[in-house]
Amino acid sequence: MSQAAVELDSVTIKFGDFVAVRDVNIDIGDGEFFSFLGPSGCGKTTLLRAVSGFLEPTDGHVRIHGNDMAGIGPNVRPTALIFQNLALFPLMTVWENIAFGLEVRGVGKRERRDRAEELLDLIALPGQGDKMVSELSGGQRQRVAIARALAVEPKVLLLDEPLSALDLKLRQHMRTELRAIQQRVGITFIYITHDQGEALTMSDRIAVMSAGVVEQVGKGADIYDRPDSAFVASFVGENNAFRGRVTQISGDEVKLEGRQGQLVGRFNPDNPVREGDEAYLFVRPESFKFADAANADAVNTIKATVREDEFEGSFHHLILAAGEDDYVRMSLTNDGSHSSNLKGAEQSVRFEPARGVVLPIGPLATE
Amino acid sequence: MKSHHMMKLMIGFYIVLFFGYLFGPLIIMSITAFNSSDFPRVSPWDCFTLEWFPELRQDRFLVEGFQNSLVIGAGVIALAVPIGLAGALLLTQLGRRARSGFYTLMISPILVPGVVLGISTIIFWRRMGEMIGVPGEDNFLYEGIFMTILGQSTFISAFTMLVFVARLQRFDPAQEEAALDLGATKPQAFRKVLLPFLKPAIGSAAVLAFLASFENYNTTVFTILQDKTLTTVLASKVRYGIDPSISALAVLIVSLTLVAAFVYEVLRRREQKEAREIEARARAAERLEMQEVAQGEGGEDGPARSAAEIRAELPAASGKGFTLQAHHLAIVLALIAVAGIAKLMLTDDVYAATACKEEIRQEKLERQQELLEKQRQLMQERQQQEQGEKAPRSGDYQSIFDPGNLQGDGEEGSDAEQAPEAPATSDGQSSNDGKDYQSIFDPGNLQSEEGN
Amino acid sequence: MSLKRWMTGFMEKNGLLVGLYILGAVTLWIVLMIVLPQLFMLDFSFRYNLPPAEIGGPKDVYTLSNYKYLIYGSAGSAADYNWIDLSVFLQTIIAAVFVTLIDLALCYPIAYYLAHTAKGATGRLLILSLIIPYWVNEILRAFAFRIIFGASGVINNFLVYLGLIDQPIDFIREDVALYTGLSYAYILLMIFPIYNAVESLDRNQVEAARDMGSGWLRIHWRIVIPFAKPGIASGCTMVFMLTAGALAAPQILGGPSSLWFTQLIVQWFNTGGNWPRGSAYAIALLIACVAFVLFMMRVFKIRVGEIGR
Repeated sequence: MSQAAVELDSVTIKFGDFVAVRDVNIDIGDGEFFSFLGPSGCGKTTLLRAVSGFLEPTDGHVRIHGNDMAGIGPNVRPTALIFQNLALFPLMTVWENIAFGLEVRGVGKRERRDRAEELLDLIALPGQGDKMVSELSGGQRQRVAIARALAVEPKVLLLDEPLSALDLKLRQHMRTELRAIQQRVGITFIYITHDQGEALTMSDRIAVMSAGVVEQVGKGADIYDRPDSAFVASFVGENNAFRGRVTQISGDEVKLEGRQGQLVGRFNPDNPVREGDEAYLFVRPESFKFADAANADAVNTIKATVREDEFEGSFHHLILAAGEDDYVRMSLTNDGSHSSNLKGAEQSVRFEPARGVVLPIGPLATE
Repeated sequence: MKSHHMMKLMIGFYIVLFFGYLFGPLIIMSITAFNSSDFPRVSPWDCFTLEWFPELRQDRFLVEGFQNSLVIGAGVIALAVPIGLAGALLLTQLGRRARSGFYTLMISPILVPGVVLGISTIIFWRRMGEMIGVPGEDNFLYEGIFMTILGQSTFISAFTMLVFVARLQRFDPAQEEAALDLGATKPQAFRKVLLPFLKPAIGSAAVLAFLASFENYNTTVFTILQDKTLTTVLASKVRYGIDPSISALAVLIVSLTLVAAFVYEVLRRREQKEAREIEARARAAERLEMQEVAQGEGGEDGPARSAAEIRAELPAASGKGFTLQAHHLAIVLALIAVAGIAKLMLTDDVYAATACKEEIRQEKLERQQELLEKQRQLMQERQQQEQGEKAPRSGDYQSIFDPGNLQGDGEEGSDAEQAPEAPATSDGQSSNDGKDYQSIFDPGNLQSEEGN
Repeated sequence: MSLKRWMTGFMEKNGLLVGLYILGAVTLWIVLMIVLPQLFMLDFSFRYNLPPAEIGGPKDVYTLSNYKYLIYGSAGSAADYNWIDLSVFLQTIIAAVFVTLIDLALCYPIAYYLAHTAKGATGRLLILSLIIPYWVNEILRAFAFRIIFGASGVINNFLVYLGLIDQPIDFIREDVALYTGLSYAYILLMIFPIYNAVESLDRNQVEAARDMGSGWLRIHWRIVIPFAKPGIASGCTMVFMLTAGALAAPQILGGPSSLWFTQLIVQWFNTGGNWPRGSAYAIALLIACVAFVLFMMRVFKIRVGEIGR
């Protein structure tokens, strides 16, 4: 029977009256790279601390490979945590850092050293064991922290935004490396981040959290293409939100009446709207196309004026004004079919109904 | 522009004055240790001598006090450092209100006058002894060195606590959590992560505790009872007649202090330099890493190659040899200084300027004769003038010729008016012109010229 | 939050061994070294001076006589009040205030200079040389002043040499030596709190004020001093308390006519042989000092927690 590596069973965590995490139920599979994605303060770090054992859930259970972790301290749990600031021991050398977990388990010095060398090879820092941590670069420290955590052979590796201190370029590089290490060692990784790029590129599955609640769990593409809530739609990736009243639901199409007239989007059975409700229609910038004469009167066509044209090499990011208060963000691939500067042009834009999703009113992510 | 210049000049002048105030007394006191004059003074300068140094060793009380001070210092370190550490650790774990309450309570011994601490300590332990049924002299709790260690530790623990609080503020709690997460038990995390981090603070706290204990007087003067420490011996020496051997002791302490400060500064600079080098290496590593990432050279052998390159790019190690030399030189100098002091203390055969002293003695005798002659003439003249008047008034002459008056101590000065049988020399009212004669005529005055 | 729950959490967080060490050491310190001795002294000050045999006997009852003595003198004396002791008490407090003010005036410029002008190696060297004199024994420091201010000391010799005076001045009788020595004794404790406070002041504030045309006096009065107030208060409190409680300097440098209140206390313990009365005097000193400091903190709106940092 395939058992979940980590099982969060109705986990609720309160600090006094404040509910940091509310009724989380997730099973994380063995060997999975699982991310918790959410803005700062959404409770994801609190949840991670409950898994690593630094705090106990107020309600519910954390099980690791079927064993209830209640009352089991962080030093006994089969987890290892990589801290946001890495928390490497500055007074120890690199190899002593890596072998610390073995040292406290009473492993002899010779064996510790050998094991540390093996791990240094794994993280591509061979022969650097005698350096002080402060002599290393940011990326090297990152790898040492990973090696230190792997040295205790945890069943689950927990990572608390470990890349956030790095330079952008290096961060992207480390994503690939982390994923590679995870595949090599084959254990479960639970990764906490507020950076959707990190979550989308590395994870097998993602849980999007907001205000202590898990809004949606799924593969990256699912979350991006089929968001279940207004928050997820607005937090993960760029999105245009049009507000209106649901006038008709037929099959999997929803008609919405708003400031831009009637717009049609896809119905989401996981978070359904009802006729007469206020609702949001979300449309990705890349889902918009310029309307040409042939389909000028088709559904979901919006008259607009290009206000800004941000050119990013492979893309044009346009901001168009539609009427008084509405703006449309639109991304165009730079495939040579558009003039180099569109600013000021009057253009009608449109999108396929299947590319828009209608969701009940809820809090939007603020940038 | 001009006023700015003036301002700078004034500030400079003030700083010179201020440090003159700080060091002047110590310098002058140190100089007097080398003057053969029996009273510690700079002028008139008699002869250069080292005779006061071995004399310290002869003083039984001083040696005994010194030994006690060492024992007490060690005891205070053993008590105040762990207590201060515990206090600091507790403060980091309390809520805001409890913390401020405990902080006030624990810091209060610094503000309570030392005499009050001393008194409360002896009263408490005497009472404790009575309560367990061993009153008075047999009470093993009512013991000078024991109570001094406790009494001093009461406030010295607050000092050490402040040292630890300052250090703990820079401790990242994630370090301890990381240790726990890697499987360490709580005592292991404490011993392997927190204690090494606190090690420098433990060192400074121990030094601070020892120094504070070594020089404490106000509390000790009560708690030490019949025993003595270096400071209490010094205090009674200074109060009841001063002589240059105290200056000699001061020279020793001042030079040890200077040596310690010097070594400390050299070590600190070396440490700083090392830190800078490490930082430079980290920056070099950082640069390389960025280059690699930019070239898209990730993968297996990328970082490995970078390691070689980083090593090649390390700041040249040339600076290291020089630092080591300077650092060794400093230690050698310090050792020489300490050896010199030790030699001064341990050999009896020091330069005592016997010839020079004899010369001075002769000079003084001659001058004395001269003055005696003058005085005689003066007296004769006065006696002639005062014929017809009644017996000479008391006052000046009396005190001048009183042989006992030079031994008098300044402390009793206030009694001088009421107690004419012991006129103190410090008595400013006793005629000033008498002063010269007074000291000249007294046979003992070559030994101790100054009463106050 | 209940104490029991706190204890459980505390022990869990620290482990049994470290937790017991922390609580044990702090309890030993606070209970056996700070609180109980003070309470015992307080208790003792309300008792009669009895021979050991009678302690705990029927005569061992509470009394206010020791405090009465400080205020009214012995029952037999003619005077209404114990003016001798009371005036020593007042003189001590006033002199301590005086010394504190001298130190403040002396140290503020230096602290400011060290914190804002002298940077790098020079600054560090100056700070180190500030500390060096304080590694030298307190008694020896007082002794140094006794040498300097003696009748044949450097200052008198110099003044005579210059022809400014023809007879040595008795600096010790005039208490000049005492005040100079006392001011010297605790200078460091005035400089460092002010230094720490001033150092944390953003230099740009001073620059900005200068830019707007403020003179340096106004800059200090309006910007630096208000900012450094906690440091100044902390320094003043420490210097005042230590000066009022000083013993060595008054014993060594005090003129024949000026007694320090601590010397009275010592007298009751040593020559006087009346410990309860000495305790009462000590309590009076303690209360006066604490009251004075609390009053000053109220006036300058400083919290206790800020003292001693």
